[in-house]
Amino acid sequence: MRGTLVIMRRELFSLATSPFAWILLSVALFLNGVLFTAYIQLLDGDVTWALRFALGESLAFWALLVFLPPLFTMRMVAEEARSGLVEYLLTSPISDAAVILGKFLAATTFLALFWCSVPLYGLVLAGLGASPDWGALLGGTLGAILTSGLFVSTGLLASASTSTPVLAAFLALAFNLTWLALPLVTELLLGGAVSWLARVFSGGEGLGGASLAAAGDWLQRLVGTIDILAHFQKSFLVGLLDTTEVVFFLSWTGLFLFLAVRLLETRRWR
Amino acid sequence: MIDATDLTKCFGPLVAVNGLSFEIGRGEVVGLLGPNGAGKTTTLRMLTGYLPPSRGAVTIAGLDVLRSSLEVRRRIGYLPESVPLYGELRVGEMLEFHGQLHRMDRSRRRERSAFVLERVGLTERRTQRIDNLSKGLRQRVGLAVALLADPELLILDEPTSGLDPLQRMEVRDLIRELARERTVLVSSHILPEVEAVCDRVLILHRGRLAADGRPADLVRELGGTGHLSLTAELGPDTGQAAELLRKLPGVASLKVVDASQAANAGEEPINHPSLRSFELTGEGELAAVVGELARDRSWVIHQLAWQRATLEELFASIALDMNEALLDGMAPAVAPLAPLAPTAHTEPTAHTEPTTPTEPTAPTEPTTPTAPTTPTDPDAPGADS
Repeated sequence: MRGTLVIMRRELFSLATSPFAWILLSVALFLNGVLFTAYIQLLDGDVTWALRFALGESLAFWALLVFLPPLFTMRMVAEEARSGLVEYLLTSPISDAAVILGKFLAATTFLALFWCSVPLYGLVLAGLGASPDWGALLGGTLGAILTSGLFVSTGLLASASTSTPVLAAFLALAFNLTWLALPLVTELLLGGAVSWLARVFSGGEGLGGASLAAAGDWLQRLVGTIDILAHFQKSFLVGLLDTTEVVFFLSWTGLFLFLAVRLLETRRWR
Repeated sequence: MIDATDLTKCFGPLVAVNGLSFEIGRGEVVGLLGPNGAGKTTTLRMLTGYLPPSRGAVTIAGLDVLRSSLEVRRRIGYLPESVPLYGELRVGEMLEFHGQLHRMDRSRRRERSAFVLERVGLTERRTQRIDNLSKGLRQRVGLAVALLADPELLILDEPTSGLDPLQRMEVRDLIRELARERTVLVSSHILPEVEAVCDRVLILHRGRLAADGRPADLVRELGGTGHLSLTAELGPDTGQAAELLRKLPGVASLKVVDASQAANAGEEPINHPSLRSFELTGEGELAAVVGELARDRSWVIHQLAWQRATLEELFASIALDMNEALLDGMAPAVAPLAPLAPTAHTEPTAHTEPTTPTEPTAPTEPTTPTAPTTPTDPDAPGADS
């Protein structure tokens, strides 16, 4: 645990002293601010909805959520593999898990800093006399941090798999986008494929088509269980802190961190 | 302190380290020698637990390196060849980070880092960013980091590579000083350095242990010989000088060098009719013996230089012998026992190493070319019959 904190502190120091991280953060904050102003204007001053847009209901929100973590994590393991620092860390008296966990906490903390800017909008608006939906606002912030953590974990996994940071970012981004788009893709596929297959096979009996439709249904439900968007909107956006949703995000994060630790270990014999 | 048994590491089809076994006692200063690609770094990485061996095991201070990995890592100060450091940190911050990893408390961190910086001569660079330091200074920061936790065992992989001669000397002195208090294992391919610092050397060649012992003993045992070069005006002895020198005790070989060529090295282009140069090899106090002879025969010595046998020559001879051994191993492939030949032959030929260098001691040169073939030839038919 102590090793984790030591690593985390050093990573945060690195982020805090790297111009790249600050530039990224300022661009994101600027973008978010401009968009929020636009939402308010477009919605004729509906504060609650503007905040919902800023946290979870807009494409820009999800784009930031997907793009930022890989950019922060891409160098974390890949660069150290290249510079030989992995050898230093893995021969230091800390566990491999502490190395990954420390990096994870550092990147997530930095991103949390960014998402905490949105409740500030709420504060400002409250100061101006509006009454934002605090439950939804804080829930959405927590959700954004948890989702960032999940994408940080996939980012670290990608970073541990290669020694080229850009490739790590690309891999993580591709993975995150695929995951987010999975429900959409299955729906499109199933909508087209199932009806086509049903038409072909139900020439005589209706039986084949029915079982195919059932299989499609089952697949859709399966994809639905890992649908990040749905999980996010179901709980956090309505201001409801549902432990099952929290566990959903945390357990996937844990899985990817575990895989990243394993992958880091294999660096020894690769 | 270190106990390695049958250490073997394969990278795919390549066997980087092959059946390495050795023991290093507490307080020893050992040099790990070998040409590039001999398996030095791989060996050190296995000792520190960074690479798990394909076969064999290592214990350090009685602890298995893989099973009690963290415990072992706490006892080792390891400086990898690439000197990995966080460039964005200042020197002091890097030491602070390392101290925290080693769970040293604040006062001890402060005390040790001041001590260690003083030791490597970086006290004034404490607040400088590591990225802005030169290669030599980085190397010293690496050493400071390795030393910080006051480890029982210090493992340094090529600590002097990329340093200028002066820095190299400093590092050498530093290592010698450090060696008083702890066990040190240094790898290098620069032999004089190892000779100067280590009480014991392990010579690796193609992943195998080719020699193990005190440098001086190894040199003597494996037939290391000294070099003597002599340039003198011989006067009336011009004709028979070579014969006289050859008869001296301890002379192994003699070569007459063209005097005019030898004189080129010096500035005076004297072309004295009786000026001759010789290159001798041999053991013992060759310089004194030759000097005595020169005095007795009243030769005018222009140059008399004696160079003791060095690890370097020994090393070259090991490398060459091993290559020959491999070639020898190939040669009997014509014989019926082909498939077993290569592996079976490398071992015995390694043992005959000490005898081969004694061959040139035969006083007459013409016989030497035939000599090496004779001992091996009778062996082969003898084994057959």
